[in-house]
Amino acid sequence: MTTNSGVSTAVRATELRPLPRARNGRRRNTFAPYVLLSPALLLYAVFLLIPIGYAIYLSFQGLRLVAGGAFGKRQQVFVGFDNYHTTLADPEFYSGFGRLAIYGLIAVPVTLGLALLFALLIDHPKTRAKSFSRTAIFIPYAVPGVVASLLWGFMYLPSTSPFSYISKTMGGGSIPFLNLPLLFPSVANIAIWGGVGFNMIIIYTALRAVPADIYESARIDGASEWQIALRIKIPLVAPALVLTGLFSLIGTLQVYGEPTTLSPMTADITQTWVPLMKIYRDAFTRDDLPLASAASVLLALGIVVVSVLLLLATQRRAFGGNS
Amino acid sequence: MTPPLDRRQFLLGASAIAAGSVLAACSSGSKGTAATSAGAAASGPSVAPASGGAVTTEKISLNYWAWGTPQDPFVAAWNKANPNIQVKHTDAGGGTDSSAKLLTAARAGDAPDAALVEYTTLPAMIVGNVATDITQYVSSLKGSFSEGTWGQTTFNGAIYGVPQDVGPMVLVYNEARFTQLGVKPPTTWAEFATVAEQVRKADKNTYLATFSPAEFGNFAGLSQQAGGQWWKVDGENWTVGINDDASLKVADFWQDLIDRDLVSVEALFTPEYNKQLNAGQILSWPSALWAPGVIYGAAPSQAGKWAMSRFPQWTAGDDKVAYQGGSAVVVTSSAKHPAEAAQFAAFINSSAAGAQIQLSTGQYPASVVGQQAAIKSAPPVLMPQQKDFWKLASEISAQTIPSISWGPNVNVASSTFQDAMKAAIANKTKLRDALAVTQKAVVADMAKTGFKVTG
Repeated sequence: MTTNSGVSTAVRATELRPLPRARNGRRRNTFAPYVLLSPALLLYAVFLLIPIGYAIYLSFQGLRLVAGGAFGKRQQVFVGFDNYHTTLADPEFYSGFGRLAIYGLIAVPVTLGLALLFALLIDHPKTRAKSFSRTAIFIPYAVPGVVASLLWGFMYLPSTSPFSYISKTMGGGSIPFLNLPLLFPSVANIAIWGGVGFNMIIIYTALRAVPADIYESARIDGASEWQIALRIKIPLVAPALVLTGLFSLIGTLQVYGEPTTLSPMTADITQTWVPLMKIYRDAFTRDDLPLASAASVLLALGIVVVSVLLLLATQRRAFGGNS
Repeated sequence: MTPPLDRRQFLLGASAIAAGSVLAACSSGSKGTAATSAGAAASGPSVAPASGGAVTTEKISLNYWAWGTPQDPFVAAWNKANPNIQVKHTDAGGGTDSSAKLLTAARAGDAPDAALVEYTTLPAMIVGNVATDITQYVSSLKGSFSEGTWGQTTFNGAIYGVPQDVGPMVLVYNEARFTQLGVKPPTTWAEFATVAEQVRKADKNTYLATFSPAEFGNFAGLSQQAGGQWWKVDGENWTVGINDDASLKVADFWQDLIDRDLVSVEALFTPEYNKQLNAGQILSWPSALWAPGVIYGAAPSQAGKWAMSRFPQWTAGDDKVAYQGGSAVVVTSSAKHPAEAAQFAAFINSSAAGAQIQLSTGQYPASVVGQQAAIKSAPPVLMPQQKDFWKLASEISAQTIPSISWGPNVNVASSTFQDAMKAAIANKTKLRDALAVTQKAVVADMAKTGFKVTG
């Protein structure tokens, strides 16, 4: 369960850091940087490298009966690639990614679109009550995911849903929020509701960092606010958009809390609905930590690959080619 | 106001986020296990002083993991009577959470000395090397429990736990609404279907009962009552029969009720279900003796309107009763003082003092002495008008099927069952096919682990 997608990127970032040079050209105190780095490296090793190593080790183990007998004792033995084979041969693992993709295709664009829209609206010179709006949009981010899921769960269940109440009053039936095909938008909506504010703040911060004279000269040249937003603001905040996009993508791959909380309320969310739910079930319901470790390693590798691909695809555009 | 991030800052930020998410992935949400063990209707416990404490010269301490309301008074009573053997109680979560933690802790050699375990997970605790053989310490307790109850902790002749509470299956129903709609509590499953039909005809917003695809323990009990043997052990060999004829009969019975819209299909104790319960639109719950406390917790307004009756039978005149829920105390492989831990388990679960504590906290004792004492207790708060509640309960309890056994991977069975049943409901496929899926997964898992298994 302890795997990390940022390992390779963090290592690369560390390598990029130029070594400190002595002022008079002579190298001295060469150990000083390592001493200064040691607390960080130590924490990094204890809380990341060792758990990751242990997870990889576990993924090659299995609990098997060694002595036999109807009530023989299970022991941890080396099983090679068994767990990887089991995971990759399990259709539920792929279905989980399929459902994740549908969820992500709804959640990521809507979250980013709304965040960008709200950031641009708040940045518009004629907008009033800016700090109030900013706070109001941000507040859902402060609501814990489980609480948000329960809150929305109540709003989705037919007997307690205000939306279903309205639809019933108007002569329709209750709205099946928690059944397919509405289930995906319903689950994504919880993440969108909580995520828009956070992403908006990042984009808005980037917008505020743009020097005001750029807008001034654009206005002198006759650009409308609409043109300024489209041709100046959006291109200038592209790095922030890539950043929020990556956050949202990683968040999507790790979705767990919302569907788990909603699961008891609907037959359409199984215990293996998304990959992390399957990993949790294998580890803690079925007591098969090794199998869960193998799936975690695969999921982490997947996240690294997707993140790197996203960076490669966007970095030249977003960062102007400098690295 | 920060400038747009450069690439390095961005990468650092990204790795920080990834690190944070790992921590998030590691913190596991604890899942509430609905309706597993005792539904508690607590009143102040009256602790009778314990007699006959264990004799030991050195002062030792024991750790005890358990959930539920009677545990603290149990421990207090024991500690008072045994100053040299002090027990420390930890609530490590309900049945499912607690057993997952026990397996991990025992592997690290760090499990508590004694722990409460559900009957369904006891075999998994034995093969997971959590529960140890305590035959030598507790064999004399055999007469303190009914045969069916004692059988739940005995495997291949060895005793692995002392039963604490049991859940013989009963039907709890909304008596007031039954009278209003002119129906009688069903005594057979055929009658159950007829009553379900009558209820639907009398009030289109009301159902006799709910089928929940998540209720593994309930379905297992229904199958066992019908004659199903989900796991059977014979020497070295296991037989798995999750889709045996009896279980398929139960699946088809509910399938028919679902197809004819005679039962509602939803998860139990969601806000949705609770609302219907309070509105008198769900009229019964075929479950177990602890049900009144659970219903009362969700619908306190219904107190005085509900009643309990014998479980419907497949053949009129039969008196077959299976269990749903219930738990026993095991001594773990990590215990440094297994004899004292077994003594503690025996005291809280089979003494008159222990039984008084259980009754005062609303738990139905597994011990004969406790069940006899129960007859004099007041009925549960949900049904104060039913004066013969405990008398009926002890009669039913004496009729439980003695040969129920669970397998070493009930966790695999229950998680597969729940998902397969959910899928069957969502895709409108057959419940009996979900049993076949479960059977296949359970057999495959046992074979992979190295058990000799047929099925």
